[in-house]
Amino acid sequence: MNAYNDWIENSDDVKEYQERYSYLYGIILVVFLILFGRLWFLQIIKGSEFKRFSEQNQIKEERNPAPRGMVLDRNGQILVDSLPTFNVTLTPQYTVNLEKTALELAPILSLNKDEIVEKVKTSRKQNGVFKPVRIKENINRDEVAKIEAVKIDIQGLNVEMGIKRNYLLGENGAQLFGYTGEISREELPVLNSGRNEDNKLRAGDIIGKSGLEKRTDTELRGIDGAQFVEVDARGRGVQAGRDLITGGFPDEVDSVPGRNITLTIDKDLQQVAYESMLKNKRIGSVVALNPANGEILAMVNAPSFDPNHFSTGIPTDIWAELVNDPFKPLRNKVIQDHFSPGSTFKAIVAIAALSEKIITPSSTYFCPGFLKYGRRPYHCWMKHGHGAVNIYQALERSCDVFFYHLGLELGIDRIAKYARRLGLGIRTGINLDNERGGLIPDSEWKKKTLGEEWQGGENLSNAIGQGFILVTPLQLAQAYGAIGTEGLLYRPFVVKKIVDADGHARQEFNPVLAHDAKVREATDDVIIAPETFEIVKKALTLVFSGDHGTGHYYRIPGLDMGGKTGTVQLFQFTAESVFAKCESRELKQRNNGWMAAFAPEKDPKIAVAVHAEHGCHGTAAGPVIHDVIYAYLKKYYPDTIAEAEKSKTKKKVVVPKPVETTNEETDE
Amino acid sequence: MALQVEERTTIRKVDYNLALVVLALNLIGLINLYSATHGPNSKGMNGLFWSQIIFMCIGWIAYAAGTFIDYRIFIRLAYPFYGINLCLLFLVTIIGKTTLGAQRSFALGPIHLQPSETMKVVLVFVLARYFYNQARPEGYRLKELIVPALLVLIPAVFIIKQPDLGTGLLLVAVSATMFLFVKIQNRVLVGATILICLAVPLGWKFSFKEYQKNRILTFMNPARDPRGAGYNSIQSKIAVGSGRIFGKGFRKGSQGQLEFLPERHTDFIFSVLSEEHGFVGSMTTLSLFGLLFLMGVRIASQSKDKFGALMVVGSMSILFWHMFINVGMTTGILPIVGIPLPLISYGGSNLLPTMLSLGIVSSVSLRRFLF
Repeated sequence: MNAYNDWIENSDDVKEYQERYSYLYGIILVVFLILFGRLWFLQIIKGSEFKRFSEQNQIKEERNPAPRGMVLDRNGQILVDSLPTFNVTLTPQYTVNLEKTALELAPILSLNKDEIVEKVKTSRKQNGVFKPVRIKENINRDEVAKIEAVKIDIQGLNVEMGIKRNYLLGENGAQLFGYTGEISREELPVLNSGRNEDNKLRAGDIIGKSGLEKRTDTELRGIDGAQFVEVDARGRGVQAGRDLITGGFPDEVDSVPGRNITLTIDKDLQQVAYESMLKNKRIGSVVALNPANGEILAMVNAPSFDPNHFSTGIPTDIWAELVNDPFKPLRNKVIQDHFSPGSTFKAIVAIAALSEKIITPSSTYFCPGFLKYGRRPYHCWMKHGHGAVNIYQALERSCDVFFYHLGLELGIDRIAKYARRLGLGIRTGINLDNERGGLIPDSEWKKKTLGEEWQGGENLSNAIGQGFILVTPLQLAQAYGAIGTEGLLYRPFVVKKIVDADGHARQEFNPVLAHDAKVREATDDVIIAPETFEIVKKALTLVFSGDHGTGHYYRIPGLDMGGKTGTVQLFQFTAESVFAKCESRELKQRNNGWMAAFAPEKDPKIAVAVHAEHGCHGTAAGPVIHDVIYAYLKKYYPDTIAEAEKSKTKKKVVVPKPVETTNEETDE
Repeated sequence: MALQVEERTTIRKVDYNLALVVLALNLIGLINLYSATHGPNSKGMNGLFWSQIIFMCIGWIAYAAGTFIDYRIFIRLAYPFYGINLCLLFLVTIIGKTTLGAQRSFALGPIHLQPSETMKVVLVFVLARYFYNQARPEGYRLKELIVPALLVLIPAVFIIKQPDLGTGLLLVAVSATMFLFVKIQNRVLVGATILICLAVPLGWKFSFKEYQKNRILTFMNPARDPRGAGYNSIQSKIAVGSGRIFGKGFRKGSQGQLEFLPERHTDFIFSVLSEEHGFVGSMTTLSLFGLLFLMGVRIASQSKDKFGALMVVGSMSILFWHMFINVGMTTGILPIVGIPLPLISYGGSNLLPTMLSLGIVSSVSLRRFLF
């Protein structure tokens, strides 16, 4: 009740305000009159003028899309550029007689009449009558001319200009270059969050959706300009009455063209690599780099897709097919997938064993075809064994038993240290998106992630690159490059330069020496002596030059090069089926093949890793390794190749039969 | 005894005329929102219409709650509310979600809390409370105005820094209305006017962001920035003018449907309305607003205490300035600042505080019959 007493006490007080309310009525009246007057002026006095303006003379801001930058190879050859395209559109609202219009248009555009009617009707239902319907995309100049000629008589018809991204290599390198597409509603707020007002992306903008197109989108895209055109909504230009409303507008705001990106890729080598994959019907990936500076020379994935189809919108059936393809054509498997390295890992185990003084170059182990550990026999891929082998023969012939012994002696933790020293299990830091790190396991890792102790038997399987170990093709190429250069790990990079449209270099990327395995680093105590590298390099050279070498068939005669094959069994098979012919299995069950190599042996210029998924043997990757190395040296070091060819004829090396045909299985 | 009588007849004493006008404006808003969100290219915006219906339902709950609560409770709650709101405003600049480049709202699950919107209402509470407690029929002196001035300036500076120049200046306009209404001494008034005249050029130089300056310069000369605010202003004028007397018809406005109009579901909803329903439609809407304000002033004048009167004057001035600035900018007599048209524009964070403060007006109206 107290509140009400207060109220009564205060009620006199409130009279103080009484005479002020008239002011408020006054203000309301004034504002109401102002707005009334303004609306009267706009809608009644000037109404007809504005009406005409809105119906016939519309100033529409038409965006002048900035030309997207080009992507060039290391020598300035174009890899990706843009082409203008023309699309025919029809706006349902202004179409007088759809059937008749369709009948007129059909012969010009070589389309079916019903098809046109269908398209317009579907769009009218979905998007309303004002949205122009694209009748045909990417029409040729003849068609443009014909359409322009009939445009004036067919209301609602228009030719719209667009830009189409043109990937000169087609399917080749699609995962590296990526593709472009219209920005989606979900991407819009995300991509705009860091941008200021002038620079915001809008619905309908074309952006890079994957690969380099996405990664370097801000460089490539430039700044769109705008043009203020007055057109009637039917597409005809009109000039009158404009100054009335605008008080004079500038006609155009120039666009700023996107920057060009120069890559470290060599177009010719890229083509050789992809063609070699196709020719040999391989599924998988290829990466070639310069081990002396980290430049990526080629990056290929197969199977692939043609991004040219994507630049004007992806047909859903093609998209579904690509997404559901078991061989993941959309993915850059060179960096975005990791696999067991198989026997290619033996070179790293050899380095570990030599550095830890477990073996000397003359130590031998006897290989009877298997090694019994606990109760289980661990087989060598060579059923009847290699006999007594030393490090050179073990790597040349890829003897599993030799490395089982090393694995047991070293233990996983010591192997892991050397593997990481050579960059395995760590992201290389290449300037591309979504790189995977691979996996180098150790006992601590297993305990942490699986909660189990490391088993002695796992030392055996991991020593031959099976088990938990995973590497990306890029990591393997980098590791073999490091072996070739005796310890240099350059950070791989693919973008070399970003150049303004007027030719000024805006940003240049220089080689970064990430690690030198010969030098002790603060983070670990592992160093690898140059002598160790020499021994392993010599052994890896025998893989090609030795008569029993697993890569012998794919050598470049006369040229010293080092490398290693690897075969990765994907399923556990029974004892008999392990030795059964791989090709007789279903494709998905066949072994993966690897080959990594560097050339020339002294002062390597190129390191290559090839992963042949379901290729059955490491040698499946051989022809691609051969073609890539040969093509690169021939182009940039013709002397080396000439010399090799000369010494070949001098030595007269007899070409032995390929390993594949003498043994059903190469290495395990 | 008085209490019992009041209980029995409360429902009958509710100001239904006020509610009817508010409801009419709500419905006009929905009709236009439907048109604005169902254009040929606005498929993704269809859902906004339904969210707005939900906001309106919640808004009416807030209105009802405001009506039946004794508004005098806000005498006690004003300062706590103000404190909380100020904290939120402070926090939003730190953890707030970025929308349109400005830090304005909190994301609390699906709801976006925008402290600058609630601040307008809460500021009316504290100012009403302050002036209610300190009656000065002869006019307030400078000394007594320091506290309320600070109450206004602290949140205003925060909001302008967000940067949301429109809302910040609106806060100042609403408070100025209340200051003038409670009467301040003439010499203080003259002094303040001089001070503001000096402060504006300084503020222009040091505190306005580049784009805020651009908007104002562009208003004076639309050709300065044809891609941004100037373009919007011109397209909006074309939309309004081309509606002529009866408009082009529901969902037939080419300016709106063809997306010549920017932000047509929020800041430029009045242009959609004027284009599609012409002079008749826009004047009907403005008249409803006018009616609402006249009813508001009447309710204030009949209030039995100063607190109620001040609450109504403050709440109404929020609506009034919103309406004037929004219609002014869409018809090209004021610069483009991001101020929505209350009860009509899309958006819950503006609608809910508006409905609550209208509920309080209704509460004051209800309780004038107390004796």
